[in-house]
Amino acid sequence: MTSRNFKVLGQNHPRVDAYDKVTGRAAYAADVYLPGMLACKLLPSARSHARILRIDTGPAAALPGVRCIITGADFPDVRFGSGALRDRYVMPRDTVNFVGEPIAAVAAVDEATAQEAIELITVEYEDLPAVVNPITSMQPDASTVHPDLEDYQGYGFTMGHNVSTLLDADRGDVDQAFQDADHVIEDVYRSQGINQGFLEPMACVADVEPNGRLVIYASTQGPYQIRAGLAAVLELPVSRIRVVAMELGGGFGAKLRLAFEAFPALLAMRTGRPVKLVNTREEAFTMNGPRLPVTNYIRSGVMNDGTITAREAYTIFDVGAYLGAGPNSGIGHGIGAYRVPNFRLRSYGVYTNKIYVGSYRASGVADMTFAVESHMDHIAHRLGIDPYDLRLRNALREGDVSVSGAVVPSNGLLETLQAVKDAVAWPRQLEDGHGIGLALCEWRSGSGPSTAAISVNDDGTVSLLTGSTDISGSDTSLAAIAAEALGIGMQQVIVAKRDTDMAPYTGQSGGSRVVYSQGTAVQRAANETRDKLIALAAERLGLPQDALGCEDGRVYVLDNEPQGLTFTQLAAASITSRGGPIIGTAALSSMPYTPVFAAQAAEVKVDRETGQVRVLRYVQAQDVGTAINPMAVEGQLEGGVVQGIGRALTEDQQFDPDTGAVRNPSFAAYLMPLAIDTPQIENILIDVPAPDGPFGARAVAEPPGFGPPAAIANAVYDAVGVRVKELPLSGERVLAALKGQSPALTMDVASLRRAEGIAAD
Amino acid sequence: MARFNYLEPHSLDEALRMLADGGDGVRLVAGSTDFLIRWRTGFWRPDAVVCMQHVPGLDAISFNDADGLSLGAMATVQAIEQHDVIRQRYPALAAGATAFAGVQVRNLATIGGNACNASPAGDTLPALLAYDAQCRIVGPAGERWLPLTEFFQGPGRTALQPGEILTELRLPPPPPRTGGLYIKHSPRGAMDISAIGAAAVVSLADDGACRRVSIALGAVAPVPMRANAAEGRLIGQQPTAANIAEAARIAAQSTNPISDVRSGAGYRRDMVQVLTQRTLQHAVATAAGGPAPFGELRRLALQTAI
Ligand SMILES: Cc1cc2nc3c(=O)[nH]c(=O)nc-3n(C[C@H](O)[C@H](O)[C@H](O)COP(=O)(O)OP(=O)(O)OC[C@H]3O[C@@H](n4cnc5c(N)ncnc54)[C@H](O)[C@@H]3O)c2cc1C
Repeated sequence: MTSRNFKVLGQNHPRVDAYDKVTGRAAYAADVYLPGMLACKLLPSARSHARILRIDTGPAAALPGVRCIITGADFPDVRFGSGALRDRYVMPRDTVNFVGEPIAAVAAVDEATAQEAIELITVEYEDLPAVVNPITSMQPDASTVHPDLEDYQGYGFTMGHNVSTLLDADRGDVDQAFQDADHVIEDVYRSQGINQGFLEPMACVADVEPNGRLVIYASTQGPYQIRAGLAAVLELPVSRIRVVAMELGGGFGAKLRLAFEAFPALLAMRTGRPVKLVNTREEAFTMNGPRLPVTNYIRSGVMNDGTITAREAYTIFDVGAYLGAGPNSGIGHGIGAYRVPNFRLRSYGVYTNKIYVGSYRASGVADMTFAVESHMDHIAHRLGIDPYDLRLRNALREGDVSVSGAVVPSNGLLETLQAVKDAVAWPRQLEDGHGIGLALCEWRSGSGPSTAAISVNDDGTVSLLTGSTDISGSDTSLAAIAAEALGIGMQQVIVAKRDTDMAPYTGQSGGSRVVYSQGTAVQRAANETRDKLIALAAERLGLPQDALGCEDGRVYVLDNEPQGLTFTQLAAASITSRGGPIIGTAALSSMPYTPVFAAQAAEVKVDRETGQVRVLRYVQAQDVGTAINPMAVEGQLEGGVVQGIGRALTEDQQFDPDTGAVRNPSFAAYLMPLAIDTPQIENILIDVPAPDGPFGARAVAEPPGFGPPAAIANAVYDAVGVRVKELPLSGERVLAALKGQSPALTMDVASLRRAEGIAAD
Repeated sequence: MARFNYLEPHSLDEALRMLADGGDGVRLVAGSTDFLIRWRTGFWRPDAVVCMQHVPGLDAISFNDADGLSLGAMATVQAIEQHDVIRQRYPALAAGATAFAGVQVRNLATIGGNACNASPAGDTLPALLAYDAQCRIVGPAGERWLPLTEFFQGPGRTALQPGEILTELRLPPPPPRTGGLYIKHSPRGAMDISAIGAAAVVSLADDGACRRVSIALGAVAPVPMRANAAEGRLIGQQPTAANIAEAARIAAQSTNPISDVRSGAGYRRDMVQVLTQRTLQHAVATAAGGPAPFGELRRLALQTAI
């Protein structure tokens, strides 16, 4: 068991990078200026699906100040993919697949010249039939986005035609369970395209060192993934590439993988000069993958007492032109945080001629949670059961088996439900037009390769080296973990900047894995460092190791505290010691299944005449285990809820129904919530220590954003008695529902079942 | 991002000369909040830009009981929002100004720019129409006055001739017992373009009947428009709930909205009815007692969002 008597953890620590960021001194990729640097601009495809017949770069190349122009033909003829399926070229060679796809890049002496050159490039296209709607795209007669799909590497798990993936999960005898159920309830939900809304558009600087190595200064959540991606598309060994991760101005999944780094990279290799690319906001909206619309069919078999016995979920994820992040995490969440003995879950990833799908804060799970948690309320109302009681009855308990087959360890799910119930005094009768809705969210603490190294400096401080880029204050939390384990203050920990030449390999910063997984590596590296310090002190003091303690920057004699050696003294001594300078390291590949649960409640007001929904209050309780840095935990919880409120009410990435082009590529038309739109958010931290996390910490970041769409939709139902099954819950949609004019959402599940040879009704 | 010459006149005469010399390729800018966006997207590609920021005197705001309110074309939306007399005497205009963008944009954006940009969604325009604004236009041929209702010709198109500058908007003094409100319908509480905007200004006679009624609507037709038929339905009538509802219904019928990324046409028309009814009710309710405190006015203007 972990000691709960923390010295550093559990207290609020301002971010280690706060001062640099507030004073504008933190260096982002766009802040990198190198001598002789050129500016890069990209030419977007004007067509959704077309053969490129000719690209005339002549007049552009003749423009004074233009140094180099590249097109797809300048790259090696290799496909890459963000997942297992290699379905795209970094720059198309002969066919464009969505409006906005970069098809040429210019390097010029400044940005204005590069842009002028872009406008001088002419492209001759031969249009091909485009398919924009994923449901249409699944029809056998739909035009094919990737005619050569079968030749692609990684084709193994695709279905062919326009279905790039099918993920499935099954348990029990689903059809029998539906037959035996007292009630069968089905729904179709639809959620919208969502942009990650990061503050810093994509940026990078590419440079070629005198020895010919490529250096990339990147805005990324995954420097090693950029390195691997670049190596693949440029056909270079990874050892020829160094990626320096600059400060990250928000990623939320959008910066997990190779984006545009290959363009300035090749231009730098061609010109021998550094090249900078900084996206405009419009490019961030039209070139780099957002989340795309999702349609969810969900059916439950329920007994009279509210016990759910069967679940079927068919989910169609539009993946756009390339698999990108794909359905991603969606599949496992078709049963939500509940024990469901029989289920059949299917997630289809379907190609269309739209911008490819990217990642966003647990891609797909918010869509699934909207469907599952709205559906829970639907079941409750149909059966006349209180929605809270229905959730409590079916909630997963310790010892249950999760959707993936792992046993659910101890957790705070029931405590989160109870805490939210108490906070909002559920059930409560409200004035007309006001309502409360609940949602339950589940996620797992993120795993994956993690490494850390800690070395002790001459002055008794320690340097912490990890490969994880800082997102949302993770550096601060990792420093806190190291400080706690070593018995020193936060100020004694220096967090080194990331560089693939220097930091050990690690997975991306995403999926709620940094503090949980990377934090475990840091804790272990710190433990090893401490053990070495104690061993050295034992040697010098002539005492057995178990007679020594380590606290406040010194190793001391347990029964004679004043006697001991400071880290400074030990660092000096280590230089000439048998073991040499003190460094502790740790590495791990994965962590055990550790769920994270959160219960949320929204209180809303609905204007019956305009349909507008206003969130008055939001309460969330999440089992975070040990809160490493409570201030940062609350920041994550609130940020997630604000993103979720945007998803629920105003954010809506729209696409032209004919061309698939993004219709609202700006923050003026893609409406993220502002402070004025955000209610008071109350956070309740439930602390059921994770059996395996660092000092009992669980992951934090993903679940807060899952709940708001369903909690708010459920609250709208509570307020005015209509269920809106499509996001966002705009005034227009709610008013249509109030008038009984909601468009019917359907999915032809029978033919999907038939295609799989399932005979169910 | 095409290049252009940047010109900075220091008097109105100099500005007129620069416009005349520049011909078709020259564009005047005030706060540049519309200009910069359209230039960046390549929609406007001027050879030269004449910036009015350094022409003195064009940003004055003054009021007297005889002539009413004079707004220099370069007056910022922020200055209008903050102006006490406007809050008191022209509350629908103060509401339009406070519902406009966010503070940073209000500090730059000018009332003249809002009018000359002639967006059907311009947030100050319904109130200016409802208060019967007159435009003072100065050009190579001298000065002329034009009612604002004749100023708008289509989305982005105005009655300005080449080389002409809008220098002032003049709003006659409202009669006693006049109330007004503007409501901006938008999903977000700030920094959002109106999906619909509705302004109503009502003056009551001694017997409580509606003596003057103006209803002006934004974002529901190619230009900001007055709903004359709806006004006619109320003038001379008692402002009963039924009469107001009927006028609102007529107002909705008179619009010709489009569907776009923000809203469908049907929803827009429904909202015209709701917002017209609410602005009329508020105008009537405050006609005698004077406008709501500014904080309340702001809340009402943004009521669909906050
Ligand atoms: C982020 C953002 C948010 C916005 N939000 C809103 C909003 O909520 N509501 C709203 O109504 N608008 C909004 N706008 C649009 C814009 O701010 C307004 O239309 C503003 O009033 C324009 O004024 P300006 O002084 O900046 O005009 P400029 O951009 O300088 O000029 C606009 C046009 O008017 C012409 N012009 C300007 N002044 C004169 C003059 N005196 N005589 C002749 N022609 C002239 C110019 O030639 C140009 O064609 C927003 C803009 C931005 C960038």
